[in-house]
Amino acid sequence: MDILSNLLMPLTHLDLLFLIGAGTFAGIYVGAIPGLSVTMAVSILISFTFAWDVYPALALMIGIYMGGVYGGSRTAILLNIPGAPSAIATAMDGFPLAQKGRAGEAIGIVTVVSFIGGFIGIAALAALAPVLSDFALRFQPRDFMLLAIMGILLVGSLSGGSLTKGVFAGALGVGIGAVGMDPLTVQDRFVFGIDELRGGISFVAVMIGMFGVSEALMQLHNVHTPAVRQKISGIIPSWAKVRKHLPLGLQSATIGTVVGALPGTGGDIASLMAYDQAKRVTRNPETPFGEGAVEGLVAPEAANNAAVGGAFIPMMTLGIPGDAVTAIMIGALFIHGLNPGPMLMIEQPNMFWFIVGSLMLANCFMLIFGLTGIRLFVKVVELPRTVLLPVILVLSIVGAYAINNSLTDVYWMLGFGVLGYFMRLYGYPLAPVILGVILSRLLDDNWRRAIISTREDFGAMMMGIFTSPLSLTLLAAVVMILVTNSPWWARWRGRR
Amino acid sequence: MDPHPRRPGEIVFTLFLLAASLGLLWSAYGIAGFEALSSPGAVPMATTAIMVIAAIMVLVHTLRRPAGSTQTVARHILPLSVVVTIAMILGYALLLRPLGFIPTSVLFLAVLVRFLSRRSILFCAVVSVGTVTLIWLIFRMVFSVLMPAGIFPEARIVAFITQLF
Repeated sequence: MDILSNLLMPLTHLDLLFLIGAGTFAGIYVGAIPGLSVTMAVSILISFTFAWDVYPALALMIGIYMGGVYGGSRTAILLNIPGAPSAIATAMDGFPLAQKGRAGEAIGIVTVVSFIGGFIGIAALAALAPVLSDFALRFQPRDFMLLAIMGILLVGSLSGGSLTKGVFAGALGVGIGAVGMDPLTVQDRFVFGIDELRGGISFVAVMIGMFGVSEALMQLHNVHTPAVRQKISGIIPSWAKVRKHLPLGLQSATIGTVVGALPGTGGDIASLMAYDQAKRVTRNPETPFGEGAVEGLVAPEAANNAAVGGAFIPMMTLGIPGDAVTAIMIGALFIHGLNPGPMLMIEQPNMFWFIVGSLMLANCFMLIFGLTGIRLFVKVVELPRTVLLPVILVLSIVGAYAINNSLTDVYWMLGFGVLGYFMRLYGYPLAPVILGVILSRLLDDNWRRAIISTREDFGAMMMGIFTSPLSLTLLAAVVMILVTNSPWWARWRGRR
Repeated sequence: MDPHPRRPGEIVFTLFLLAASLGLLWSAYGIAGFEALSSPGAVPMATTAIMVIAAIMVLVHTLRRPAGSTQTVARHILPLSVVVTIAMILGYALLLRPLGFIPTSVLFLAVLVRFLSRRSILFCAVVSVGTVTLIWLIFRMVFSVLMPAGIFPEARIVAFITQLF
């Protein structure tokens, strides 16, 4: 009975209901505005809600989080600028669909699969939290290291073009992530005597530059081309269409939940992995991947919303953040005198069930707002690009400045924007750079932990990998990704 | 042989990436050399070495491809609109602190919209003032993001608005 009353608490208290609704609505638009990340919004919200009671504070943040993860897909589809990193894969097929005038249809199916994915993630959080957290506890540093390598190597198939350029971009991202003081030894890395670099390069500035500025610069090439008028009929997808994509949606949601539940990962990696998996399992898509395949929208969007529920699993059971937003939420819980971790589930199960209930409600609000607000949103792309692009640039500059109230981040954003522009021109994929930055810390920390645990003996570390079924499975996955994306594999497949 | 012809400036960009990768590899070596596998320089050295190898492979591949004859740097790589926009973002960043967010943004938007659209000065002024007002209200009033005030009496305006409620 206690569980039910806590689960229904957000529904029975009007103020909480309103805050979750308002948070989800705001989250959709915050997530959709290029240069405004949901992480930034939630971190700013902490200062707003500092004096609030913990329940309304969490309700608002959960709404923003759920809405923001979904909202990122909108500009990915309409402008080819992912509003959030978790929507990077969505842009690959979403934007080609919008260019064909099918943005309404794309947003409709994305909204429904996001809801389904979100629901599965939350159900997993409620049902499997202790089991999955036990599994994550078994991960050794070497497993996290392999997981990071696997994530970066996924670029091979994601880049679509040259594997070498994809690998270069991924390595560049890891290098960017390493800039600053080493967290273990406080030694400078890639600092070149510049004090501002000691704190590292903001990942958000890199992301805004690479995706916001470089995309705006690319679009300047054909700034006078009239915008494609988007068809806004058929927003609510037919049951037949939903049913057709349901198996892939469920599979992707499962990937999203599991990846989201792994500490340090999150919707960004989950969506890319699900997209990669969809490319492998979809035999005959109506449109090829990268040119507007609906499957290329279903997979990442089901996965990234499922990862929201998944990300709460390590947060609630281990006190380890599932992603950047849950890391901020842990901070918020600390501010409110709560100590997230195994003891929270035992001592305050009411908090756990309140979070589950709030997530469910936010997911429902996301479906309602997502399906009803498309017409207004689609109008954004019908604005002349000569006006829209300068506005996007101002938003990007403000977003970059707002990270640390620092002009340095604006210069970084511009630098990475120009670099990203040339990389786009010459066929380098940009998603691996961002993935590399995100995974850099995970890779670096766990490589060092793994090698220290074997007393600097590389052979012993490899032996550990070969003798552990979990590590061996991850290593096999890494090798598989490398082999299946090599030109030799393509030639061998072509011969058969 | 790759059927795609080489784009103008592609070799220069690849050489730039190779030179930057070599510079970064040297810098990574300077962190801790080959001191230990767990040193803070181990992962940076490995990743920059991968960058160097990948850049060499890309360079070899690029050199093998035939040069395209239909594209030019001025038209397809760095058209005037791109050069002007990059220069304007840099100018925006330089003026943001002394002038402040509101005047710089209005100026940036008005000039860039006018340059790109060739619409009337009145149109550009209305678009820039309207957009900046909206952005300022969202960022300053809702998200409490403090942008540089510069020459604009922002504090007095905020105090006046606050007094109204």
